[in-house]
Amino acid sequence: MPAASRRLRPLQLHARLTHSSPSSDTTHFGFQNVPRHKKEDMVKSVFSSVASSYDVMNDAMSLGVHRLWKHDFVSTLNPGASGPSKCIDLAGGTGDIALRILDHAREKHYDRETTVDIVDLNPDMLKEGQKRFKQTMYHNTPQVAFHLANAQALPPAQFPSNNYDLYTIAFGIRNCTDIPAVLREAHRVLKPGGTFACLEFSRVDNSLLSTLYDSYSFSIIPLMGSIIAADRDSYQYLVESIRRFPSQPDFSEMIREAGFTTGAPREGKGGAWRNLWGGVAAIHAGVKL
Amino acid sequence: MTARAILQHALPLISTHGFTRKTLSLAVMQLPTPHSQPLSETAITALFGNGDDARRTLINGWLKGGLEDMQHGKTTGGTMQHILKRRLRWNEPVLEHLPEAFALLVAPQQTLPRFDIRPAISHAASVADEACYLTSDSPEGTSWYVRRAVIASIYTAAELHQITSPQTSEAFLDELLEKSESVRRVVAESSLFAEYVGKSWGSLIKSRGIF
Repeated sequence: MPAASRRLRPLQLHARLTHSSPSSDTTHFGFQNVPRHKKEDMVKSVFSSVASSYDVMNDAMSLGVHRLWKHDFVSTLNPGASGPSKCIDLAGGTGDIALRILDHAREKHYDRETTVDIVDLNPDMLKEGQKRFKQTMYHNTPQVAFHLANAQALPPAQFPSNNYDLYTIAFGIRNCTDIPAVLREAHRVLKPGGTFACLEFSRVDNSLLSTLYDSYSFSIIPLMGSIIAADRDSYQYLVESIRRFPSQPDFSEMIREAGFTTGAPREGKGGAWRNLWGGVAAIHAGVKL
Repeated sequence: MTARAILQHALPLISTHGFTRKTLSLAVMQLPTPHSQPLSETAITALFGNGDDARRTLINGWLKGGLEDMQHGKTTGGTMQHILKRRLRWNEPVLEHLPEAFALLVAPQQTLPRFDIRPAISHAASVADEACYLTSDSPEGTSWYVRRAVIASIYTAAELHQITSPQTSEAFLDELLEKSESVRRVVAESSLFAEYVGKSWGSLIKSRGIF
């Protein structure tokens, strides 16, 4: 391993010195260890706090780049290309991805039959999504529905097995307590031949870019949180949670362990994941066969 | 079930459907536990890449299958001629789709370069390397590279001939191999003769006491 990448960056070193590995009864909440049963409520409270300014903050934090990533994500999936699809979007409270899916199917494939079930754990985020959809042509149509549910345990009565063609989760899976449980549920609700797709912040592989990214994340973003949203702590959590998420190879292995078939275990064309902006975000995909 | 297994099941479908995303989508209906529906576009993108990248994955998978098939040539013949002919026969079921497949491999994927000949060179070099390995034809030093370059050139010419005139391709290959062998003999004998002449002149010059 080159000497430069062995040198610990100050922010990560500080995090490692002040933070120990979680035991089986605890899990990570950013850089803190918290009891597993409390994480869900803590995450809920973070997102309730940020819900009303979520989109503004996303624009400020990523300088609008998150829109490009989400556009790339949906374009790659190309919903509607093989006919109307039944889609489910987890942690999709504000309806970002769902709206893009429906617009893409309509504009590229003249498809008005594709449907999206938007599922979120947080009622405040769902309310923001419902408000947004009222401004669109999909409001009060069968193409969109909102559900309050936990991605780790989707109620079978409401979300039967082998039911969906496409399962998406964008910038949400890192907040889940039990990622393997989320992946198992995704496998259950997808039809054979259905696709799982995840857009998430990930590990930057270039050490120079990583240093700049760390400085920006840990200094600027919480500051923006305190100025724009008057909530520094929630944005501190959001930044820390990114650092705790598994690396791209590890997460693609978790996807395979859940029963999905992925591309080759590498990055890029035909690979199990594709990096965006050098690994700042990554798109992972798998198919239920 | 892996993506590679689906690719293997797609190979027999190429002759009917070409090197297309449709071939990959239909492959799941050939599995031991077949699906009732072809794979969706989204699933093909997830497993094999977006747009033409999935087609390139299929083409590269087929080329790899050709190399693996050459190994059977070793057990049923074992000469360079036999193995290269076996490789040409691998092309026969998909001959009509080959020009488009090769064009796709060299097509530009970015603005520059305008076309990328590396896949074409890599294909010929792989076939030559595999053929030399299977026939234990591995001279030492720079001859190792020369031999493989010659076989790669012969195979490339034979394959191009096959696309335009499939019936005469094997005869064309025989002719090229024979010519290359006679050129090799001539070069070897000429080098030997030149060495003798050189040594003779050296001895003559020494005997005259010039140096």
